[in-house]
Formats: sequence, structure tokens, C-alpha cells
Amino acid sequence: MTRLMRPSRRGFLAAGAATLATPAILRAQEKPSEIIVRAWGGAWGDALQGGVADGFTAATGVPVRLDFTEDNEIKPKIWAAVDQGRVPPIHINWDTTTNATISARRGACVDLSDLPNLEGLLPLATPVGLEGYPLVNTYAYVYVCAYRPEAFPDGPPESWRVMLDPKFKGRIALYDDGIGFNPIAVIAGGGTFDDIPDNMEPGYEFYRQLKENAPLLGEDPDFTTWFQNGEIDLACTISVNARAARQSGIEVEWTVPAEGCKVDTDGLWIPKGLPANEEHWAREFVNYALSGEAQEKWCSMLGLPPVYPGLAPPADLVGDPAYPTTPEDFAKLVSVPSPILVDNQPIWFAKFSEIFQG
Amino acid sequence: MSSAVRRGLDILEALARLWPFRGPAGVGWSFLAPALLIVGVLVIGLGYMIEASLRELDITTYRLRDEYSLGNYQTFWSRDVYLSVLTRTLLGALLVTAITLLLALPYAYLMVRTTSAAIRKALLVALFLPFFIGQVVRAYGWLIILGREGLVNSAVAALGFEPLPLLFNFSAVIFGLVQYMLPFAILLLVPALQAIPEDYERAAEGLGAPPWRTFATIVLPLARPGLIGAGIVVFTLTLTDFAMPEILGGGTQDFFASTIYDSFFQISNAGLGAALSMVLVTLGSLIVAGVFALAGTGTLGARA
Repeated sequence: MTRLMRPSRRGFLAAGAATLATPAILRAQEKPSEIIVRAWGGAWGDALQGGVADGFTAATGVPVRLDFTEDNEIKPKIWAAVDQGRVPPIHINWDTTTNATISARRGACVDLSDLPNLEGLLPLATPVGLEGYPLVNTYAYVYVCAYRPEAFPDGPPESWRVMLDPKFKGRIALYDDGIGFNPIAVIAGGGTFDDIPDNMEPGYEFYRQLKENAPLLGEDPDFTTWFQNGEIDLACTISVNARAARQSGIEVEWTVPAEGCKVDTDGLWIPKGLPANEEHWAREFVNYALSGEAQEKWCSMLGLPPVYPGLAPPADLVGDPAYPTTPEDFAKLVSVPSPILVDNQPIWFAKFSEIFQG
Repeated sequence: MSSAVRRGLDILEALARLWPFRGPAGVGWSFLAPALLIVGVLVIGLGYMIEASLRELDITTYRLRDEYSLGNYQTFWSRDVYLSVLTRTLLGALLVTAITLLLALPYAYLMVRTTSAAIRKALLVALFLPFFIGQVVRAYGWLIILGREGLVNSAVAALGFEPLPLLFNFSAVIFGLVQYMLPFAILLLVPALQAIPEDYERAAEGLGAPPWRTFATIVLPLARPGLIGAGIVVFTLTLTDFAMPEILGGGTQDFFASTIYDSFFQISNAGLGAALSMVLVTLGSLIVAGVFALAGTGTLGARA
């Protein structure tokens, strides 16, 4: 017997361990019957389905189901499942970076640092103020000033202060928690970016004046309905909604007024507590969503700048200030770091409610 | 009486003695078991809510603190917005209850007293149709009808007038809620009105009382148990309603349920949400208990 052929004790143990470990690895990669991704509906869900889910299923054979539970409502369900050691209701949460950061602070997220497709992404993809990658940002979006061109015959509104014009009384809309507008209100109210978050009073004063103009407060679908039914002339909403409304034949344009618009990010995260094979395929899904192919398709359908570098904007958004691609573009917008948003959003929301519901 | 008949009657008497059934002591409790189970789950849930309401949110971890305090209740008392939304909710519930009863009584009376089977059937169909349409769908229906370019305003515009602001205000919320609550109130009033012997009204009529007087002095007092039952149901349902104020209020006419929702989901503060829930549950229970104490339980009680 040659030395090469004689099995050493270490080799024997290694071979045995490998034999024992193989089923576990295979089990870890066993395909689940489906991957559930929490998503927003309408144009958002269509883009995720067409841009990521379909391609992922074609590449892996794993079906993807979108769950349209409201983003704020899925949070406590996931948290409770993680805390109680139950399997979470979804595999991947498509979430705002602020909400995802809150979940990360609670320790509900799986670390995604080892995803191969993180390599080479724009810095925008990296979460701020957190260790590793409990979430990964997937694109940026802008809360634009969307308007009905018929109501602005002299051209797009140049300042957010147009909201205070009595002729728009009852015909303005904001998000019902002030999201996307709180920092802008500070600047429109005479403050500066440096006032955020310690001196929000100019923003609150702007809100008090705005209240006299009876704005409507709602969510994404409300804005589309209100524009469609001619209920509003002006809204602060995400460009995706305005673009989707325009694509469906509603007369809506958008602009970035002099005070700027808030730019933010959304991301993907995986809750803890999934069975190993399901977590594996959830990671594969997130990894696929960060690939050039998926990013190009997904983000062009949404009309948003991706975190994958070098992708051209859709033809209808070339040069659009609501589609920032360069640092100069971003400089014209208002970006508040996620940790500041997470720490202050409850305070801002409380004040917003106090003013508009009081 | 023949002996066979007598024997038969004896057997029947012996069988009759078996009813009402008197089994072992536990049998009665076993009948109550489903109800006790439901109430028990509710009580356990309330226990958890009370416990959560005594723990404040730690914003660095977004978890409730381990220490107990009254901080969430202090937040409720110290923030005007909560009191003003609660006041709006109470006012809305009172208004909706009053208007709904006002509309439901004649409808139920007509349904009970009409001699035409066709009218009774038509009223029944009209009563049950709304149950097939959920609250949210109905609210969206009103958006279409009352909107700026909706049916009503199209008619207004056709007459050459400016569109009316029919939506996204307190009146729109009250209107939507009354429309939603009306069938519940009618359903609760009908048995109470059916229990009033028609002879009483005929007697009053025979003694020369005009119809309005008969209604005011005979029907209305005797319908009191039904009015109390319907009023309590409509009031409590309105007090906790979420969808109508959300959809028809345009985001600025929230009821307290929306505030609770916002605390739980919008700002992820389960402690504050639980405290606000306890405030609403306590207030609603006290009001209902007060009505029961002053006016009885109406048709909601086993014996009025």
C-alpha cells in the first residue's frame, strides 16, 4: 500500500465529517415551494415582479409570491415571530430604509455582508450607522412636487410655498405622517438644512400656515385617486407614483422646487428565524436583485436611480432632477441620514399629528 | 276516560318532568364554556395590553423597556392632540347614534306595521343589501358619488354652480357612518317594535289620539328597550370605527382608532398604542355602564 493510498486518521475523519455534512448542505440548499417577498402594490409591485421576481424564478426555478401587506403592518408581525422563535411570515421585506433600520436596531435582520453582488455597488447601497449589512439599499427615490399642469398655466411651481396660496385651499396633499416633507417644510418655512433635527420649528410653523389651506393627508394610492378624480392640484409624493399616474393617462407633471426635495432609499432585508434552506434562497433573491440585470430592469420600471453603477436612466427621465445620478444631482436634493430619521421620526410625526389633527 | 288514555297521559307527564333537563351541576357550566372561552381570551389579551401600556418605548432598540411606569398615560394626558381626537370621536359617536336612531325608527316601524307584503319585502331587501358590501367598498363608493367630479357635483355643475366640498370633512365622516350603522339599528329596533301590541295603538286611536300623539305616547316609550339596545350598539361601533374617518375624512378627521393604529404601526410604539387602547376601552365601557345603570340594558339584556 502506497503512502498516498493509505488513509490517515485525519483524512478519515475529514471524509467522515464531509459525508455527514453533505446532507445538511444539501438540505440548506433545498428549494422551497416559494419565496414570499413583502412588496408595495400598483406600479411598485409590477416593477418588482417584472424586474426581479420573474428573472429570479427563471434562473432558479423558485417561485416568488408578493405579499402586499402594508409595510408598517408587517413590521410587528415579523418582530413578534423573531422574538418568539417562530418562522417569520415572509422571506424578504422590501422596506423603506428608515423602517428597515428600525428592524435592524431590534436585531430582527439577517446579516447580508457575504452577498457576492454587494461588490462594486454605489455607496448608496450601504446602510448608515449599522454594523455590516442587516439591510441593503437598492435604489434612491425622490419625494417630488407633483402637480396638475392645468392648475399651473404659467409653468411648474417654483417654490413649495405655493402650497400656502389660498387658491389651492383643499387641493393639496401630503403623506399622512409627513414623511417625505418634514425636512422640506423646515427649509420652506425659512430654516436651513442645518436646523434639522435640532430646530424643526420653522417647519412646524410652515405646517401651521399650511393647515389653513386644508391639505388632504393620505398614502400612495390616495394620491393617484385624488389626481384622477380632480380632487387635488398639488402633492408631495414619490416620483414613481406621479410617473405611474402619468403613464396611466392622468394629467400629472412633477418638479423639484427651489427648496429641493427629499431624497431617500428603499432596501431589502431578511428576517431572522427562517429555516436554513429558505434563508439561503432568500439571500439568493436579494443577491439577484442587486445584479446588473435585475437592477436595470427593476429600476427602469420604477423610474429610479439604482445602486448598480453605470446604468442609463429610462428615456423619459434623462435629465430629470427627480432622477439623480451624479453627486451634483444629489446635492440639489435634501438627504437626511437614516439614523437621524429613525431617532426623530416619532417626534416629527407627533408634532405633525398635533398640528393637522388638533 | 279510558284506562289506555289515562296511561298515555301518565307517560306524557313522566316525560314532561324530564324537561327542563336537570343534569349534574357541571352541565350548566358546559353550556357557558364557549362564551367563557371567548371572554377568557379577551381578558388575557386585555391583560397583555395593560402590561404593555405600562412600558415605554426605548428608541435605541425599538423595544419596550422592562421597567413599568405611567409614562404612556402621561403622554396621553399631556398631548392636546389625543384629547382633541378623542373629543371628536365622542362627538361623532353621539351624533351618529342620534341621527341613526332618528332615521332607523320610522323605517323599522314601517317594516313592522305595513300591511303590504311587497313593501315589507322591499324594505327587507334594502336593509340587507348593504351587508353584502363591506365598509371600505361603501366608503370608496361615496368617494365616487360625492367627489369633486362625482355624480352629485356633476349635477351641481350642470346647474351652473361651483362644485360643493362634500368630501374630506367631518360631515362626510358622519354621513358615511350613519349610512353604515343604519341597518344595524333597524335590525335591533324591529323586534322591540314587534313586541308592542298593535291593539294599544288602535285603542289610542279609538280614544281620539292623533297619530303623532299615539306615536309619542305609546310607541316611543314602549320602543325604549329597542332604542337603548340599538343606541348602545351604534355608539360603541362608531366609537371604535377606523375605515370611514380614514377614507372620507381626507386624513384630517381621524377618530381615536386611527390614533391607536398610528401608535402601533406608524411609529412602532406598542406601549403608547396599548395605553391609548386602554383609554378608549375604559371610556367606552364606562359610558355603556352608565347608560345601563340609568336606562337599563334594553333589548341587549335577557330580561328588560
